[in-house]
Amino acid sequence: MIQKKICMLGGFAVGKTSLVARYVTSLFSEKYLTTVGVKIDKKQVAVDGRDVTLMLWDIYGQDDFQDVQTSQLRGMSGYLLVVDGTRRATLETARQVQAKAAAAVGEVPFILLLNKSDLSAQWEIDEPAFFKLAEQGWHVIRTSAKTGEGVEEAFMALTRAMLVRA
Amino acid sequence: MVDEGERAAGRGPDRRDDLSSLRALIVGPEQRSLAAIQSRLDDKAGRAEDLAEVLPRVLLQHAQDAHFTAALTPPIEKAITTSVQRNPKPLADALFPVMGPAIRKAVAAGLASMVDSLNRTLEQAVSWRSLRWRVEALRTGKSFGEIVLAKTLLYRVEQVFLIDRRSGLLLQHAWAEDAVVEDADMVSGMLTAIKDFVQDSFKVASTDSLEALKVGDLSVWIEPGPYAIVAAVIRGSAPSGLRGRLQEAVEMIHLQFGGVLETFDGDTSPLADAKNTLESCLHAEFRADERKPRTRSTWIIASVVVVALLIWGGLRWRDSRHWAAYLDALRAEPGIVVLSADRHWRGFAISGLRDPLARDPQSLLAAAGVLAGDVRAAWTPYYALEPGLIAARATTVLRPPTGVSLSVRDGVLSLDGNASMAWVTEAKRLAPFVAGVVSFDAAGALAGHAREAMTGVQNQTLLFTRGEASLVPGQETALAQLTTHVAQLAQIAGVADQRYRIDIVGHTDADGAEESNLSLSQARADAIKTALTPAAGAGVELAALGEGSRQPVVVSDNERDKQRNRRVAITVTLIAGTGNQGR
Repeated sequence: MIQKKICMLGGFAVGKTSLVARYVTSLFSEKYLTTVGVKIDKKQVAVDGRDVTLMLWDIYGQDDFQDVQTSQLRGMSGYLLVVDGTRRATLETARQVQAKAAAAVGEVPFILLLNKSDLSAQWEIDEPAFFKLAEQGWHVIRTSAKTGEGVEEAFMALTRAMLVRA
Repeated sequence: MVDEGERAAGRGPDRRDDLSSLRALIVGPEQRSLAAIQSRLDDKAGRAEDLAEVLPRVLLQHAQDAHFTAALTPPIEKAITTSVQRNPKPLADALFPVMGPAIRKAVAAGLASMVDSLNRTLEQAVSWRSLRWRVEALRTGKSFGEIVLAKTLLYRVEQVFLIDRRSGLLLQHAWAEDAVVEDADMVSGMLTAIKDFVQDSFKVASTDSLEALKVGDLSVWIEPGPYAIVAAVIRGSAPSGLRGRLQEAVEMIHLQFGGVLETFDGDTSPLADAKNTLESCLHAEFRADERKPRTRSTWIIASVVVVALLIWGGLRWRDSRHWAAYLDALRAEPGIVVLSADRHWRGFAISGLRDPLARDPQSLLAAAGVLAGDVRAAWTPYYALEPGLIAARATTVLRPPTGVSLSVRDGVLSLDGNASMAWVTEAKRLAPFVAGVVSFDAAGALAGHAREAMTGVQNQTLLFTRGEASLVPGQETALAQLTTHVAQLAQIAGVADQRYRIDIVGHTDADGAEESNLSLSQARADAIKTALTPAAGAGVELAALGEGSRQPVVVSDNERDKQRNRRVAITVTLIAGTGNQGR
């Protein structure tokens, strides 16, 4: 059986936890996030006929990512980087996080999730910004915790990327 | 060196020889020993001999070394597997002698453990302690098994996790049979996160790490290795020796799977065999059964209780039989009516009706074997109508003289034996007042009197003067006696409700005309009837009849004989009422 550790990273209140809440098996409550700083859920996916168990480390989001303990990133095979489309600042945070993660664990697959796609009217992040990200080779998926848009797709895409790399 | 040699050689053979001899002189011994080593290395047979010499020593010296054993195990396992795959017979032959005993031993051990667990189950099913635990289980809402475990367990390793040190991914997991196991993958991750959290939060040295967590009677012991950690979830307080066991497990796993662990990238399948090592850590220790000595005393107490119950039951059964016998005796007894009979925790209760003249119920207890103290009796007095009791009651009221007995049949009180006239008369007056007496038959008691009186009357003959209806002088006494007897008879008839008939028949001698003789004989009978009438009363009927000379006592012309024929003859007959003469 294949198991992978993946992390959910992103700034404060970008909606990481609620984004996946409906799609994962949970044992621990959200209070772990604020106490221990991390909450672990499980997600089973099947990619190309292989069953993969994703251990999803939901890491407490802070806009100042300096405080996040890199020890929590150790051993991850990939991560989801979540950005709140209605707050431009969260994209900047995501950049910092990505840099820090790359420094901590090296280059591992990740996917940028542009969250709150249901509120696209209020988006502060414009099309040119997306293109810039795509040019950098970042894989971007629009997601919505409200509609569930893009969530399964994100898990599948990340898993596939991790397996290819392995 | 070679160039130098060549240059030296160019200068002449002598110089070369010198060098050779110098070389031989300086490094000759080393060269020879090198050559010897080389030849020994090339000699495979010799090396095999050397190895054969040292190998047993190595095996002997390092047999206890876990690393050595672990390193040897895989090739030996593989060799055995290959051997069996190729031809299972040699191994089967080799194992055959040990298989039988091994199987027997296993069966015996299985049976012993089954009996043991049965004993334990039985003990826990019936002991007071288990009853207390069941109550506790009910009270706290926990399962009985949990309570038993909590009370008897010293410690138990419930789960052992093998966790990848970097990613926190679960590599292997072993758990005790009935342990509560949450999703081990997530627990494993969270445990790692917490471990990291503690390490990061308190800025400890990188070589130090969280060794144990403790919540209530549950603790988690963490034993780190270079690539993986072993975490044991323990209920109760484990001895420190367990730490050593966990360390051994970590070392063993790193020895066996070091390479896999180092390059672990999510595929746990090569680590399947690590589970055996983890399972070897699932230790449990129960409280020494301090009830062993108590078990014996429990048995003694139980035996005493059982014996006491048996005795008590036996006694109670015996008492029941005695009680039943007593009730039967009471029911058979005239003048006693049992209305209710109950058995209580201690003793018996009985109630009913009792004639004051019936036997005392207490007097029947001894014969039935019932203790008087065990019985509470409530008897209500009543008049029993059994003949015997009516007779007894009549006896107390009438107080018959000695020799007279009373009996009752269909309500008729009868007397037997000789009683005075006066007593019988009084008894007749009182008898109707005795409960149960319907009528009174005094004839039995008066039979003697009646016989006497009848004898005084029967076949009496009074003699008359010739041609007259008057008695011969001197017959007055006889008439007086006759009158007395008739009076007696009349009295008896009155008391005994009898009726007598006295036939008075007059006779003449053969002299004279028969016509005048008939009237004379009638006149003579009438004269006696008249004389007796005052004495006769209501119970005695008098009948006078003249027979003339037709029934002479004697046929003769002799004057003395003629006088005998001039007579009145008396006979008496009982015509109504019980005579009782026969009795």
